[in-house]
Amino acid sequence: MAGRRWLLKAGFAALSVTAGLGAGPARALDRPAGVVVLTLTGSLRRANDAGRALFDMAMLEALPQISHATRTPWYAQSRRFTGPLLRDVLAAAGAHGTKLRLSALNDYQVDMPMDDAQRHDVIVARLLDDKPLAVRDKGPLFVIYPFDARPELRSAVYYGRSAWQLRSIEVL
Amino acid sequence: MNLKGRTRPGFSWLGLIGFGLLLALLGVALVQARQLQLLQQAVRSGDDFAVLSIYQVEIEYLRLRESWRRNSAPNAPSAEAPLDELKLRYDIWVSRIALLDGPRPRRLIDENPNYTSTVLDMQRFVALADTALGTQAQQPVTADFLASRLPSLDALGPAIHALSLGAAHSLAEQNEQRNLAVRQQNQLGLGLTVFMSILTLAFAFIALRQVRQLRQRRVVLEELASSLSEARHEAEGASQAKSAFLANMSHEIRTPFHGLMGMLSLLRETGLNPRQIDYLRTATESADHLLAILNDILDMSKLESGRLTLNPVPVDLRSLLRDVESLMRPQAGAKGLALHLDADPAVPERVMADATRLKQILFNLLSNAIKFSDRGAVLLHVRVREGADARPELEFAVIDTGIGMDAATLAQIFNRFAQGDNSRSRRHGGTGLGLEISRNLARLMHGDLSVTSRPGEGSSFALRLPLTAVLDAAAGKGATEPARPSTSRPLRVLVAEDHPVNRQYISALLDNLGHKAHFAANGLEAVDAARQMAFDLVLMDLHMPLMDGVAATRAIRALPEAARSTVPIVAMTADAFEETRDRCMVAGMNDFLTKPVSPQKLATLLRQLFGRESGAVPFGEPLPSDTAPPPAARRPLTAGSTPLLDDSAIAAALSALSRAELGAMIATFLDQGPQTVQHLRAAVRDAQPLELRVNAHAVKGVALNLGLTALAHTAEALQEGAAHLPAHEIARLVQRYEELLPVTRQAAQQAGLLPASPAEPPAVP
Repeated sequence: MAGRRWLLKAGFAALSVTAGLGAGPARALDRPAGVVVLTLTGSLRRANDAGRALFDMAMLEALPQISHATRTPWYAQSRRFTGPLLRDVLAAAGAHGTKLRLSALNDYQVDMPMDDAQRHDVIVARLLDDKPLAVRDKGPLFVIYPFDARPELRSAVYYGRSAWQLRSIEVL
Repeated sequence: MNLKGRTRPGFSWLGLIGFGLLLALLGVALVQARQLQLLQQAVRSGDDFAVLSIYQVEIEYLRLRESWRRNSAPNAPSAEAPLDELKLRYDIWVSRIALLDGPRPRRLIDENPNYTSTVLDMQRFVALADTALGTQAQQPVTADFLASRLPSLDALGPAIHALSLGAAHSLAEQNEQRNLAVRQQNQLGLGLTVFMSILTLAFAFIALRQVRQLRQRRVVLEELASSLSEARHEAEGASQAKSAFLANMSHEIRTPFHGLMGMLSLLRETGLNPRQIDYLRTATESADHLLAILNDILDMSKLESGRLTLNPVPVDLRSLLRDVESLMRPQAGAKGLALHLDADPAVPERVMADATRLKQILFNLLSNAIKFSDRGAVLLHVRVREGADARPELEFAVIDTGIGMDAATLAQIFNRFAQGDNSRSRRHGGTGLGLEISRNLARLMHGDLSVTSRPGEGSSFALRLPLTAVLDAAAGKGATEPARPSTSRPLRVLVAEDHPVNRQYISALLDNLGHKAHFAANGLEAVDAARQMAFDLVLMDLHMPLMDGVAATRAIRALPEAARSTVPIVAMTADAFEETRDRCMVAGMNDFLTKPVSPQKLATLLRQLFGRESGAVPFGEPLPSDTAPPPAARRPLTAGSTPLLDDSAIAAALSALSRAELGAMIATFLDQGPQTVQHLRAAVRDAQPLELRVNAHAVKGVALNLGLTALAHTAEALQEGAAHLPAHEIARLVQRYEELLPVTRQAAQQAGLLPASPAEPPAVP
C-alpha cells in the first residue's frame, strides 16, 4: 500500500524549481568550483547562485565529516557511511523553513520535516566504506539516518526519507 | 442462617468467572502480540520496498531504452550532453539492478526461477554495455555501438515487465496471506471479545444477585431489629405494668391490712384473758411477718423500676449500731446466741449514709445469721479498709457460726427467691427477697455485698460501702426518734378516707390522742366539709372514689375563704414513691404519712404541726394520758430527786441536732431565763393567770424539747397551777425556776453541752 503511494509520488512528481524567498544572503556562500552535486532552493539566506545554493563535492567535503556504521534495508551487512551533517549543509546555505523536499536523480521525491535534521544526526553521505559513492552505488549523495544508534528510526517513514542519489533539496 | 450458605456458590461462581475473564484477557493479549509481530515482520521484510525497487528497475529500463534509441539513431547528434545523459540513465538503471541483488528483493524473486534468469540476462547486458559505458570503458560510445546493442536491450523488455508483474502478483499474494492471517486474528479476537462479554455479563448478573441478596438480608435484619425493639418495648411495657401492678397491689393489700393491724393493736387494750392475748400475739406476729413481706415486695418493685432514691445524711455510726444491736439482741437471746457488735477505733464517728437503708441491710444480714445459727455467736464487725482503687471503704462483716452454705447455694444466694435449700426455707420461712434487696441497696450506695461460706462452718457476709466521713459537727439523724408527747390541744381533724375499717382505726388513734375526727368518704365530701367547717388538720387518703386526694387538695386550696383554704393537709397513702410525695407537695399538701399510720407516727406529725403552739390550749384542759411528759418528769418536784437534765430527751434531741446546735439553743434559752422570770413575776404581780399560763407553757415546751427536765417541771407546775394555786405558792415556783437556771447551766457544762468556762450569769438573789 505504502509502496504504491511512493510509486505514485515517484511517477507523477515533477521537479519544481521555486525562486528563493525571504531576505538576501547575509554572507554569500562560495561559488562551486567543480561539478555541482547538490542544489538547495527555497528559503535560503546564503544562496550563491540566483537564489539557489550550489554545492560541489569539495564544498561538502569541507564541512565537518560524520560517519555512521549502520545496517540499512539496501545492504545485506552493516556499512559505513561518511559525509557532512545535513543540518551543517542547511546552515551553510542559511536554510530556514519547516520542511525539506528531497529530490533524487531518478525524480524520487520525499518530504522531511526540518526538525529531523536538527534532532537526529542525519548525514549527507558521500563515502561508502570510505570510498566515494558512485551513481551505481546510490551515489553520489545518500541521506542516512543513524538507524543503528536510534532504533525508533527503523521504520518505513525514515527509510523513505533516506533519499539516495540525492540531487536537490527544496526548503519550504 | 442459611443466607450464608447460599452465598458460597455465588462466590465460587464469581471466582470461576473471574478466572475465565483473566484467561480471555490473556488470549486477547496473545492475539494482539501476534498482530504486532505480523506488522513488525511486514515492516522488517520491506516487501513493499522490494516491489518498488523492481518497478523502478523497469522504469529506469524504459528511460534508458528511450535515451539509447535516441542516441543510436544514425542521425543522432554526437554531442557530449546527450551522451552524459545516457550515461547517467545507464548508471541509474545499473544501480537499480544492483538493488535486485539485495537480500529482500531476492526473497521475492527467488520464488520464481524465471526472475533469476532475467536478472542474469540484465547483468550479462550490463557486462556487455560496460565495455563502452562503464568506468573502465574499452571503446568509445558510438551510435553504431549503441545500435548494435539495441536489440539485446529491447529483448530485456518483456522479461523485466514480467518481473514487475510477478513481483506485483507475489506481493498481492503475500498481502492476501497477511490479510488472511489478520482476519483470522481478528476473528479470534472477536471470539474472545464475545466470550469476555458473556463472562462480564455473567459477572454482572452474579454481582447483581449478590447485591440483591445483600439488600434482602439487610431488609431481613432491619425487620429483625425492629421486631426486637418492638419486643423490647413490649417487655419494658410489661415490666412497667408489673411494677404498677405491684405498687397497686401493695396499696390494695396494705390499706385493709393497715386497718387490720390497727384493730389488732386496739384489741390488745380491751382487757383480754391470757388465752386471747396469746392468740392476739400470734396474729400480730403473723401480721408483722406479712407486713415485712409486703415491704420487701414494695422495695423490690422500687429497686427494679429505679424509683428508690437514697437520702444520705450525716449519721452517727456507733449510735446506729447501738440501735441495731438493741433490736437484734432479743432475737439472738431467744435462740441462746451471743451477739457482738463492735467497730474499729479507726471508724469515724459520723459518716454519710442513708441510715434507714443501711439499717435495713444490717437487720437483714443479722436476722439471717441468727435464723441460720443454732449455737455459738453472731458477730458484726465494722472496720475501714482500702477499696479496689485505693479509696477507703467501710466494711460491715456479719459472721455467724451457723449451718453455712455449699457452693451451689452460694451461687444462688443473691438470686430472687433463693434460699439455702427447700428444707431450710421450710424451716426458716421468709420471702427470699431480703438478700437480693440488700445487695441491690448496697450497689445503689456504690458498694457491694459479698459472702463466703462453707457447709457446717458458718457464713460471712461482707457489706462494703465507700466511706464518706463527716468531719464537721453536723448531727446524725439515723437514730430512731422516741415517741414524744403529742400536742395538748384537742384538734378538729377531717379524715378523708374511703375504707370504713381505716376510718375506724384513724378515729380510734385520734380519739386516743384526744382529738376529734370528722369523716369524709371521698374527695367531694372532703371538699364540702372543708368549705362548711373549720378544721385544724385534714388527713387525706390519696386513693378515693369520685375525687382523689390530690384533686380534693387542689379544690380546698382554691376555696375563697382564706381561713378554710389554708388548713394543713397531710396525705395518707400506702405507696411511698418519691413521685407520689412530689405530686402531693405540688398539689399543696403540707406533709405525707405513709401507711400503716402508727400512733407514734401520727403523734409525731401532730407535734410537728401543732406541738409548739400550746398557748392556745384552754384552761383546765386535762392532758391525754399518753401525751404526758416522759416518766422522769412525773417524779416529785423536789430539787434533790428531780434530775436537772433528761438524758434520753437530750439523746433524742442530739439525734436530730448537733451537740453544738443543742448547746447554742440551751445557752440562748438560759440567757433568756432572767427575762422570763421578770415576765412571770409581772404576771403574778398583776394577777394575770392567762398570761402566766401562756408564758409557763411556752417555757415548758422548749425546756422539754431541750431536755431541761427540772425547768420543764417547774414550768408545768406553774402552768397547771396558774389558775388555782395560791399566790405565795406561785411566787415560790417562780423563785425555784430562777434558782434552777444557774444550776442547770452548770449541769449542761458538765454534760459537755456548753463550753466549760462561760461567764456566769449574774446571780439573782
